[in-house]
Amino acid sequence: MSERSGVIHDLGYRRYDGPRDGTATIARTLYVTGLRHTYGLGRSGKSKILPFILLAMATLPAAIVVGVVVLTGLGSLPVTYADYTNQVQLVISLFAAAQAPVLFSRDLRHRSIVLYLARPLSSSVFAVTRWLSLTTSLLFFMWVPTFLLFAGALLAGLDKSDQLEGLLKAVVLQLLLAALVAGVTGLISSVSLRRGFAVVGSVVALIVVSGVVTSVQAITNAQDADGIGVAAGLLSPWSIFSGLADAWHAGVVTFTPPGSAWALAYVLVAVVLTALCVLGLVARFRKVGSR
Amino acid sequence: MNGTIAKLALQALLGRRRFFLLLAFPVLLIALVTLITALTDGDAAFDILPGLGYPLVLPLVAILAASSVLGPEVDDGSIVYLLAKPVNRYVVAISKWVVALAATLVAGSLAILVASLITGDTTRALGMFVGAVVAGTAYSALFLAISAITRHAVIASLMFVLIWESLLGNLFTGVAWLSIGQWGLRVGHEVSAKLPDPANLTWAVLASIVVTVAGVWFAGDRLRSFSLRGED
Repeated sequence: MSERSGVIHDLGYRRYDGPRDGTATIARTLYVTGLRHTYGLGRSGKSKILPFILLAMATLPAAIVVGVVVLTGLGSLPVTYADYTNQVQLVISLFAAAQAPVLFSRDLRHRSIVLYLARPLSSSVFAVTRWLSLTTSLLFFMWVPTFLLFAGALLAGLDKSDQLEGLLKAVVLQLLLAALVAGVTGLISSVSLRRGFAVVGSVVALIVVSGVVTSVQAITNAQDADGIGVAAGLLSPWSIFSGLADAWHAGVVTFTPPGSAWALAYVLVAVVLTALCVLGLVARFRKVGSR
Repeated sequence: MNGTIAKLALQALLGRRRFFLLLAFPVLLIALVTLITALTDGDAAFDILPGLGYPLVLPLVAILAASSVLGPEVDDGSIVYLLAKPVNRYVVAISKWVVALAATLVAGSLAILVASLITGDTTRALGMFVGAVVAGTAYSALFLAISAITRHAVIASLMFVLIWESLLGNLFTGVAWLSIGQWGLRVGHEVSAKLPDPANLTWAVLASIVVTVAGVWFAGDRLRSFSLRGED
């Protein structure tokens, strides 16, 4: 200090010369935090209530099914893995609708997005990371009952290769579904920042539209106009899921099962829709982040 | 009933995008029913109403209306300015409920009437309408009460409608005794025998009145002892 005698105050600030973590580390931390927040972990006790009640509601029937299989010695599960997910779609949709605003609305509404973007993390990486968090959390939500069923089936001594085949089909379909549902609910919650309206919007997109599609399919099936019903199935994530599961013989029965060409179209539409939603999210966060 | 508060609540309800979301429900319902009536026949299209319009669209409209008149103010804390005015809290609750009720009846019950008239059979349509008015009244009071209790009013109300009334109501017939939608249908059954008759008429009428009065009173009571909380 002797050579800089002119300095009045020298508080001894020093530069940081150590290693710096890049975008990848920030994104990974953000991903894990987002994943935890969808279940209220690391937040107040009150925000844990809803996700865990919903998870319990989605899992309880699986536990009952396993109990019935073990006690009565059934030769197979009364419900396939993909069909189970289809049966509890109401609970899964509610979970997605309720928890998507946690990841996508809050930062935008309270402008804490500015603090995230002050770090070397671009708004597009932020949006994609949040989407990945929600996708993973939805997958976890569907996998808990699925793997409970699987474990129960194996312990009850059911045929291993049959169960494994059903499980693999369900897991692939769930992957597609989770990515699509996360994209749709995320986009809705990032546009509509009031929590209540985001939830209603997501419920409309997931539950109401799917109800409309199902009744349209039932009617077109009764009128021998299956083609329209199959095409209508492209409009809702759940009808894409059940249609694909039906086409793939995963144990779901729909009114208008898509043929093999239509099944390919279903997969393509699901992937394209997901991609569009993610692009929409990126555009939305870019716009808000640049303000 | 306070005119100014009702007017402000109406403005909050009709403000910007919310209005379009509220408007979307009746428009889509009527459009769908018209389309199916044109493609097939009225009876096939009518199945949409007890299957989708009545158990899903009507409560969603009620949730949206009830949470729009109270939710945003509770959410951003500006309700304290309203509560600081020398107005009886029950009057505040009643004024807001009247607006939510009007919106539910116009966007929900009236839409159901129009949609079921399109499918033909006027008596059946009137029965649906009576049921929808009864259920819409009780729904809007219940959801207003829920909005006054919790910030997560929309999700709590949705869980009541989707999990309790729809999911469990389809599995256990006994749920009809504790389901607003079923009470409405029971009252509507008096007009048109084509509607199902769950539960008991006296019970349905009394329970609907009790839920409505208790819901509005409870909302007022919650406003009377309102405490601001941070976001959890």
